[in-house]
Amino acid sequence: MSSSIPIRPAEHFENLERQAHAARLGMWVFLATEVLLFGAAFALFATYQVQFPHAFKLGVEHNTKVLGSLNTGVLLLSSTLVATGVHALRAGHRKVASWLVTATIGLGLVFLVIKGIEYGKHFDEGIYPGGAGHWFAEHHDRGLAEFWTLYFGMTALHAIHVTIGACVLGALLSSILRGRLGQENAHRLEVGAIYWHLVDVIWIFLWPLFYLA
Amino acid sequence: MSTTPLAPAASPAPEASHAPGASPRPVAHPSYLGVDTTLRSWLLTTDHKRIGVLYLVTLLATMALGGFFALALRIEHLTPNATIVSAMTYNRMFTLHGVIMVWLFLIPSIPSSFGNFVLPMMVGAKDVAFPRLNLLSYWIFVAGSILVLLSTGIGGIDTGWTFYPPYSSISATAVPLALLGVFIIGFSTILTGLNFIVTTHTMRAKGVGWMRLPLFVWSIYATSIIQVLATPVLGMVLLFVVVDNGLGWGLFDPARGGDPVLYQHLFWFYSHPAVYIMVLPGMGVVSEVVASYARKNPFSYKAIAYSSLGIAFVGFLTWGHHMFVAGMSKFDAGAFGVLSMLVAVFSAIKVFNWTWTLKRGAVALKTPLLYIFAFLFLFVFGGMTGVATASMSLDVHWHDTYFIVAHFHFIMVGGTLTAFLAGLHYWFPKMCGRMYPERLGMLSAALVFAGFFVTFFPQFLLGNAGMPRRYFNYPPQFQVLHIVSTVGSWVLAAGLILTAFYFLWSLRWGAPAGPNPWGSRSFEWRTASPPPKHNFRREPPFEIDPYDYTQPLPDEVYQ
Amino acid sequence: MSSFALPKTVVRTGLALFVLWAASFGLSYVHLGSASLLVALAIAAVKAALVVMFFMELLHESLSMKLTLAAAGGLLAILIGLMIADAATREPPPLVPPGYPAPDVAKIPSR
Ligand code: HEM
Ligand SMILES: [Cu+2]
Repeated sequence: MSSSIPIRPAEHFENLERQAHAARLGMWVFLATEVLLFGAAFALFATYQVQFPHAFKLGVEHNTKVLGSLNTGVLLLSSTLVATGVHALRAGHRKVASWLVTATIGLGLVFLVIKGIEYGKHFDEGIYPGGAGHWFAEHHDRGLAEFWTLYFGMTALHAIHVTIGACVLGALLSSILRGRLGQENAHRLEVGAIYWHLVDVIWIFLWPLFYLA
Repeated sequence: MSTTPLAPAASPAPEASHAPGASPRPVAHPSYLGVDTTLRSWLLTTDHKRIGVLYLVTLLATMALGGFFALALRIEHLTPNATIVSAMTYNRMFTLHGVIMVWLFLIPSIPSSFGNFVLPMMVGAKDVAFPRLNLLSYWIFVAGSILVLLSTGIGGIDTGWTFYPPYSSISATAVPLALLGVFIIGFSTILTGLNFIVTTHTMRAKGVGWMRLPLFVWSIYATSIIQVLATPVLGMVLLFVVVDNGLGWGLFDPARGGDPVLYQHLFWFYSHPAVYIMVLPGMGVVSEVVASYARKNPFSYKAIAYSSLGIAFVGFLTWGHHMFVAGMSKFDAGAFGVLSMLVAVFSAIKVFNWTWTLKRGAVALKTPLLYIFAFLFLFVFGGMTGVATASMSLDVHWHDTYFIVAHFHFIMVGGTLTAFLAGLHYWFPKMCGRMYPERLGMLSAALVFAGFFVTFFPQFLLGNAGMPRRYFNYPPQFQVLHIVSTVGSWVLAAGLILTAFYFLWSLRWGAPAGPNPWGSRSFEWRTASPPPKHNFRREPPFEIDPYDYTQPLPDEVYQ
Repeated sequence: MSSFALPKTVVRTGLALFVLWAASFGLSYVHLGSASLLVALAIAAVKAALVVMFFMELLHESLSMKLTLAAAGGLLAILIGLMIADAATREPPPLVPPGYPAPDVAKIPSR
């Protein structure tokens, strides 16, 4: 088993505990900005939905509901796994943690693949952002263009976040494997996992808006 | 009373001690300027003080650039028709002036330069919580600024700094590039704000409780909250305009069912709070300077501290007052009109506090304080006109006229810029260890104030008489006031150029400042000037309040 | 080395999430009319709360972090609330969007 390198706090911190607290607070503040970043898009969705309820209903009915719902399940599972991984690392089970993080990253990739398949289906049907494509020649309701533009914009931004989250977890995974991340500084994995959960939370709201209601 | 007698000032020659060779250990530490002098050590530094200096130098350059455009705009208006540029160039110049002044100068001005330099010292820390993130934030800022400036090279941008669609969705100028630049600068703003929030929470030294923080920290803290929570909304809406213009998505294009008013909602949800990003740090400088030169604790510490948070919050409730004539519903217009009135309350609390502190204090009249007087007068003036325009019936008359231009320049230039200059004079001795020439300082403060007033007061009259903003031509009867305004801008420029010259001179020939030239009690003055790399060589016992002038100055320097 | 015991809260939260997921999916086939969006969003809110409290462990974090999230959520509510209020109470636009009948010019008052 790889022995871990002793872990010290950074020069300007008194102790590791304070540094961990700072890291967690920093991540939460960052998540607050993410909430407002997506929140702005949600606000646009809400106002357009109030203005064009009928078109938005049509859009939802036409969406790839089964695939979108499957993807929700994928993200929920990934979140559960990475939360378990944090507990494992805290308890000193580095190996278990590394497997769980690997699985989480894998599920993230599955999510992206499914998302890609969905996009492909839309393009086949002639649905592009900005109301471009032949689908809009047959469906004229005012607001449909906005629905699909927001759909593509928001899900693409979310997919970017999934990608970033997977990269962050990948970096942490390599730290675990190289013995730089263990029980003492488990807060680093915790912080990465919190980010992953937030990406999940955003999808939890995107799903009903674009696929269900 | 408690600590003073034991150790009288220990270090006679602050700077001369970049110990040559193998001098024994107890020699004073080299200052943060002296530890390493290569270019690389500056560009890759994680020392908050050096990053503050980097920002300061960069921001002074962007301010000069924005000022150059301002002078050109004013000269253009010397005559009612074309004077020096074409109408298209004029449009590009006022846009660029606005974008540069708002995002490349005013937003980061005080927090990123002085905030970075003094905030960690004021909380008694060795550095900010995330030093490398701090450096990253600087370079992101540089990258975003370069993008904005590049856009000038490839066609400029002619939408005005507010980027309103539908025009910005179709303008053939370099809209996507410039907006991406602003978007990227937003990241830098967020990271700096995040760093300050976490630093204030987790890095305070023993003895520095929340109620013992210098007031500048409170105002930067409140600013950071706005930066972190408002900027992402701007980022999102700008991205949508980028794809609207670049890829033809048309989310805000009425021809495709889009609603441009929604852009304005999101834009002002950021940009009204953003005006408090610009002015709150200035208020922090005022609090420091007033206490230092009045040699008195603020009339009510808590009122000033909490009103910063109050402003940060209420600032988020008023954005609709920019949209009274944009087609927003009457219900929303009424709501925003009423909510806007609340803002004035917290600003007034501060103003009364400062004036009362000055009245009760033993005032030492120095250049920074002169600037503070200018701030108080101009800020109140500008703020009151703001309250007036926030009444819908008046705004219908004033909207998009020079009245509005005068309103916000009174606060952004008369308020923030004067506070910035006050801070520059106040902390220059700390940053460089040398004094500026006091007489010249006072002279240029007078020039800046007079020049400013002559430039912008006539614009109230112009606007009220019906002169619309952002117009290239104007009817001849407005010419006299326009000429007065232009001449004023030359006086203002003269004051600023004079300032630039004597600061450059003092860098080399200024009298040595010593650790605490103002006799301030605030924490950043309790180390050497310029401070050593980790700010305090030993942790100073922070048992004296930063505004406690009832006790003799603790003359031990914890350098 | 002792073997790793699954953390109970995490497992329970995960199960609850999947139950809610299935419920939301099933309800989308029930015709609830205009309430369907609200129901779906309410379920989403519960799920989000579960993730935030038990996966992200906000429940055990210090007050500063709770306030951070509360501030973000509160401001978002203000933003969305006032924007919807505008869209919902707006007077019909003075200019008619394309595809709609043009206004009757005779009825527009002249100066
Ligand atoms: C505290 C510092 C302030 C700053 C830096 C500031 C800055 C600005 C700026 C830049 C604009 C013009 C935006 C544009 O380009 O269209 C503006 C407009 C406006 N400001 Fe302020 N402002 C401040 C305070 C206030 C206050 C206290 C109020 C009222 C309570 C106020 C009310 C308004 C209104 C109603 C407008 C819109 C006028 C119009 O466009 O018709 N401002 N302000
Ligand atoms: Cu405003």
